Amino acid sequence: MSAETLLRIEDLRTYFHSQSKQAFVRSVDGVSLRIAKGETLGVVGESGSGKSITALSVMGLVSGGPGVIGGEIDFTSNGTPKNLLQDLDSFVTVAMQDNRIMSVRKDVVRWEQRCEDLMKGIRGKEIAMIFQNPKSSLNPFETVGAQITEAILLHTEIKKEREAKERAIQWLNRVKIDTPRLRFDNHPYGLSGGMCQRAMIAMALACEPNLLIADEPTTGLDATIQSKIVDLLAELKFELGTTTMLISHDISIISRLSDSVAVMYGGTVVEYGPSRDVLAVGDRAKHPYTAALLASIPSRENLSEKGYLHAIEGDVLDTINIPLGCRFFARCNRVTDAIREKCERHEPDLREIATGHTARCWLYFE
Amino acid sequence: MSKTILEVIDLKKHFTHRKGLFSSFREKQQSIPAVDGTSFYLKENETVGLVGESGCGKTTIGRTILRLEKPTSGTIIFDGKDITAVPTEELRTLRGQMQMIFQDLDAALNPKMRIRAILREAIRVHHDLSDAETDKRIAELLEQVNLKKSKLSNFPHELSGGEKRRVGIARVLSVGAKLIVADEPTSALDVSIQAQVVNLLRDLQKQLGLSYLFISHDLRVVELISHKVAVMYLGKIVEIGLAGRIANKASHPYTHILWSSLVEKQSIESSEKAKSVHAGRWGVFDFERPVAGCRFAPRCPVYESKGKPSVCTNPATEPQLVSIGTSHRVACHFPL
Repeated sequence: MSAETLLRIEDLRTYFHSQSKQAFVRSVDGVSLRIAKGETLGVVGESGSGKSITALSVMGLVSGGPGVIGGEIDFTSNGTPKNLLQDLDSFVTVAMQDNRIMSVRKDVVRWEQRCEDLMKGIRGKEIAMIFQNPKSSLNPFETVGAQITEAILLHTEIKKEREAKERAIQWLNRVKIDTPRLRFDNHPYGLSGGMCQRAMIAMALACEPNLLIADEPTTGLDATIQSKIVDLLAELKFELGTTTMLISHDISIISRLSDSVAVMYGGTVVEYGPSRDVLAVGDRAKHPYTAALLASIPSRENLSEKGYLHAIEGDVLDTINIPLGCRFFARCNRVTDAIREKCERHEPDLREIATGHTARCWLYFE
Repeated sequence: MSKTILEVIDLKKHFTHRKGLFSSFREKQQSIPAVDGTSFYLKENETVGLVGESGCGKTTIGRTILRLEKPTSGTIIFDGKDITAVPTEELRTLRGQMQMIFQDLDAALNPKMRIRAILREAIRVHHDLSDAETDKRIAELLEQVNLKKSKLSNFPHELSGGEKRRVGIARVLSVGAKLIVADEPTSALDVSIQAQVVNLLRDLQKQLGLSYLFISHDLRVVELISHKVAVMYLGKIVEIGLAGRIANKASHPYTHILWSSLVEKQSIESSEKAKSVHAGRWGVFDFERPVAGCRFAPRCPVYESKGKPSVCTNPATEPQLVSIGTSHRVACHFPL
C-alpha cells in the first residue's frame, strides 16, 4: 500500500451520554484507520461495534451529546491534508479518574459552527455517503430526479438546470435504472427498495466525490436485489475507481468488494489488513474475534459434525462498561494460561503481525 | 415413518381492499392473492424451510396456518384434525399446541411487562398451575433457552436482541407447543448471535420433538436448519424438496436464481450458468395486473432462451407441482 493516503483517522473518540444510566456510551473508542486513494476499505463488525458512528463522525453528522470528543480525521483534498477535527481540543475538556472518563464538557454550539466551517465544500462534494435505509434517506416529497439534480447543482461545476437534469438522467442510466427518463419523475414511494438504493448511489456519485462512504448499502434488501446492488457497486468500483469505505456486517459482501478490511469490536478496530489476509479461510494468524466471526457464518463448511454452527458465546460488548483488558476477553476461546492475566488486565495495542496486517491480541506478541 | 403433524391442501388467502366511501364506484373489488393455492405437509420432528423474496406470502402462510388470518379457501389439517373452520372459542386450546415466533422482536414483547410477567402470563393462559409451580416451570424454561435468571426482572428494552429472541422462544415453549411457526427468527440478529439461536432451535427440536415451519429469506440459514425447503414465488410454491437438493440441484429457474444470488457463492464460482440465469429481467410482480400462466415467466431466463413459448403464458396451462424425484416436486414446464 504505497498509494497516497486519502483519509486517515487517528484515535477517534465519539461518546454519547446515557441519561438513564448516568454513564457514557463509548461508541467509538480510539479508532484509527487509513484509506489509500482508489482502494475500498471494508469495515465489518456486529451491531454496536461503532461502524456507523465512525462514518457519521467523518461526515460531521453526529448528533447528540457529547459526540466527537477527540482524535484526528485527516482528509486530503486537492493534495493538501486537512484535519476535519481541527481545534476540537479547545472545545472539549475531559475529566479523567482511574482511567475512566468522569465528565466531558463540550461547547457544542460553538463546535458545531466550527464543524460546519470545516465541512463546507467537503460534505456531499468531496465525501458522499449512502445510508442504510434508502427509503427514509430520500425526501418523500420530491421526485428522485429533482433530488439528484439538486445535488448536482449544489456540488458540481454544472450550474444550468437543464444540463444538471441531463446529467441526472445519465446517472440514473448508469446505475441501471430502466427507463430513467420516466423514473426521473417518480417519488421515492413509487420505487422499490432496490431502485431507491440505486437512486441513492446515483445521487452520491453524481457529485463525483473523492470518497464514498457506503453504510450497509444492501441491508434490508431481498437476496436477489442484494446481489444486484453488489454487482453494481463492483462495476462502478471498476469503472470509476472511487475510493470507498464500505460498512457492512455481512462478511461475504465485504470480502467481495474490499481491498483491505478493518474488523471492529466494541468501538475499536481489532484487526486491520489486506482483505485476502484478514478474511482468509484456514489457520492463518488472525484475531480470535475475526476467526470466530468467520466460523459462525452459516454454511456447510462451517457446520460441526453434529450439525451445529460455531456460535460465539456471550453477547456483543456493551460499550458502557468497557473492561480494563481486552474487549473480547469474555467471549474469547483462545485465551491460554500463559497470557490470561495480560488479557484480563491490559488492553493490547494494534500491532503488526505481518506486513501491513495489524491485530489487537496478546496471542501474537509476548 | 413419523406421522404427519400438519397438512395444508390448496390453501388460499386473498386480501381485499377495505371498503371505502367510494368503493361502490369501482368496477370491481380488487383482491390481492397473497397465498394462492399452496399444498405441503410437515412431519413430526421435521423442519420445513419456507423461502422467497419479501412480499411472496411466506408470513401470510404461517399466520393462516395458526388461524391468525382466516383462510379464503383450502384445508389445514393439524394432528389429524381439520382446523380450517374451528370456531374462535376453540382456537385457544388449539394454540396450546401450535405457536408462532414472531419476526419483530420489539413488537412481540409487551414493553411494559417484566420478563417474568411475560412468561407467567403465557403459562397461566394455557395451564392451571400454582405460583410455585409456575416459577419452577419458568426456571426450567430459562435453562432450556440458556438465559440468565437475573434477566427475569428486566424489561424487554433492557435486553439485547439475542436475549429478546430467547425470551420469545421460551414463551412459545412455555405453552407446550408441538408445532412452531418461526417467522424470520434470525433476521435482525448479528452473525454470532444468529448462530446461537440456530443452535438453540436445533437443540430444542431434538429434546422436545418439535416441528418447525421455518420462514426466512436467509437462504444459508434455511439450507442448514431445514430438512425440506419450499420455495415460494408470488403466493405459490414453485419447488419443494430436500434441502441439499434445493440448494445444489435446483430444478426451477427461480430457485436457481435465488441460490446463485448468494454473494459469496458468486465470488468463488461465478459460473457461466449462474451468470446467464442471472441476466433475468427486472421487476417485481404487480398483484393488480397478474400475469397469465406461469407467474415467473416475465423474469424467467429459460422462458426467454426458449423463445417465449406460449405454454408458459397460457392461463390454461399454468404449471402445477409435479414430482421429479424423491420428495422433490417442481412447478415448471422446462425444469433445469
